[in-house]
Amino acid sequence: MANIDASAQSVREINQAIRHGIGRKEAVIVQNPGARHNLGVALLEVGEVRIAGSVGYYCGGLSDGASIEIEGSAGWGLAESMLSGTVRVHGNAGSGAAAALRGGTVVIHGDAAARLGVSLKGGTVLVGGNCGYMAGFMAQKGTLVVCGDAGEAFADSMYATECYVGGKVTNLGTDAVLATMDPGDVVRLEEMLAAYLPPALRKTKPRAVDFKKVVSGRKLWNFDKRAWKIWQEAL
Amino acid sequence: MCGIVGYFDKTTANQTAVGERLLKMLEALACRGPDSAGVAMFGSLPPRHLVAQVKLGDSDNLAERAQLVTELAKEFGGEEFSRADAYLRFLFKEVDNLKPFLSKIESAGHDVEVVSVGRRLEIVKEVGSPGRLEKAFQVSKFQGKYGIGHTRLSTESVVDLSHSQPFWGHGYADLAIVHNGHITNYHQLRRIYEQRGVRFYTENDSEIVATFLADKLRQGKDLEAALHSMIIELDGSFSCLVATDKAFGFVKDPFSFKPLLFAETDQFVAVATEEVALRGAIPGNYSAREAQAREVKVWQT
Repeated sequence: MANIDASAQSVREINQAIRHGIGRKEAVIVQNPGARHNLGVALLEVGEVRIAGSVGYYCGGLSDGASIEIEGSAGWGLAESMLSGTVRVHGNAGSGAAAALRGGTVVIHGDAAARLGVSLKGGTVLVGGNCGYMAGFMAQKGTLVVCGDAGEAFADSMYATECYVGGKVTNLGTDAVLATMDPGDVVRLEEMLAAYLPPALRKTKPRAVDFKKVVSGRKLWNFDKRAWKIWQEAL
Repeated sequence: MCGIVGYFDKTTANQTAVGERLLKMLEALACRGPDSAGVAMFGSLPPRHLVAQVKLGDSDNLAERAQLVTELAKEFGGEEFSRADAYLRFLFKEVDNLKPFLSKIESAGHDVEVVSVGRRLEIVKEVGSPGRLEKAFQVSKFQGKYGIGHTRLSTESVVDLSHSQPFWGHGYADLAIVHNGHITNYHQLRRIYEQRGVRFYTENDSEIVATFLADKLRQGKDLEAALHSMIIELDGSFSCLVATDKAFGFVKDPFSFKPLLFAETDQFVAVATEEVALRGAIPGNYSAREAQAREVKVWQT
């Protein structure tokens, strides 16, 4: 086990120590992270990292395979552009969590702030609490699950991501539409929640069958001058 | 960039080391803005008194200016004068209308500015790092119940003492703001206020936030309602922390452009641009959450 005390080291030294630990197939623990930025960025091998506290911006970003557990909260840009692996946050996440995520899983037990999963390109994002303004904006693939309430302009101008919301949606974004939850959706959601966010870990606890499904209305996929009004709103 | 911080003691104690808390938080955020640092702190005074912080000017005749301002202040019952750096601090007798006091004191020179007046509020700011602020004013020794602070990266106006934050709601006792962001309808709003005779002391768009809130509070709105009207009437990006003698709170713009997060326990409320400021200054086990777009939160003092 690699035990790293972050308090007396630079971010570069901490990240090098994390990479060395993973390279030696050791479980890595980072003590006293002090909410510093860029911790555990671009970890390109499979390995386990536990961070005993809060992290600042971009934690886990660009990673490919690592499993990162954050025992506090996370700042902006959590797991941004991650390729594969898992990032789990016990507390809340700042704006732009899982932005441009390409693969892997991002789990937030608490709330996510604005711009959650914008431009999602794959992978799965699960939030135990609420999410803020413009979650899922222009998301292209993957799955976005919010157990609590979703903020304004939810799933705006989305391509093909599937979203599930357990609570209220303040308002849907342009071209976002409610879809019917079919039995397949319920089973899939139940499996995802059981695997990543069982009720004990979640801030809000709706049953899978009570979630709403939000998908793209596909009206913005191709330009059609007869549908000028929706373009006026979108732009 | 810019970093803003706030600390509010929820226990019954009226005196806590709020200066030290704010300074530590600012030091952790100093990398967000090395241009200037400042704090607005709320302490306690003898009854029926106000405390003023006056900027004596930009040139080197500060001793002369101090003497002149002291003479002028004595007409308003000025006492307990003390000078630190370019500031003169003194107490004077409580008045309902601050206008005569302000115009008298500021008649001492075109670059003399009353930086704050309040039953509890004191603002000090300094060009440079939080360390320089501490050296000039011994901020860490200040005892009070709550306060807000700012560390600045100048993006649209000059770097000098007047353009630094916090801003006082000039003419409205005990109102202080710190702002991170840009107010894009600043020039429109400024023209409207100038037509009504309001004097602006800087070219800094953050000054309009203080002017705007002072105006709303004068109209009889409480702080919460005033902060909600900011969301409607101000354009651009803003994460703002605001404190008066009655309340302490924050507001975030509709697009959530700028960061701001807060932690609340039974003992305290702490608000900062980045969590690193909370973890660096306040030990213990508590959780923090990023404020959502349009979120307004106010705590009564």
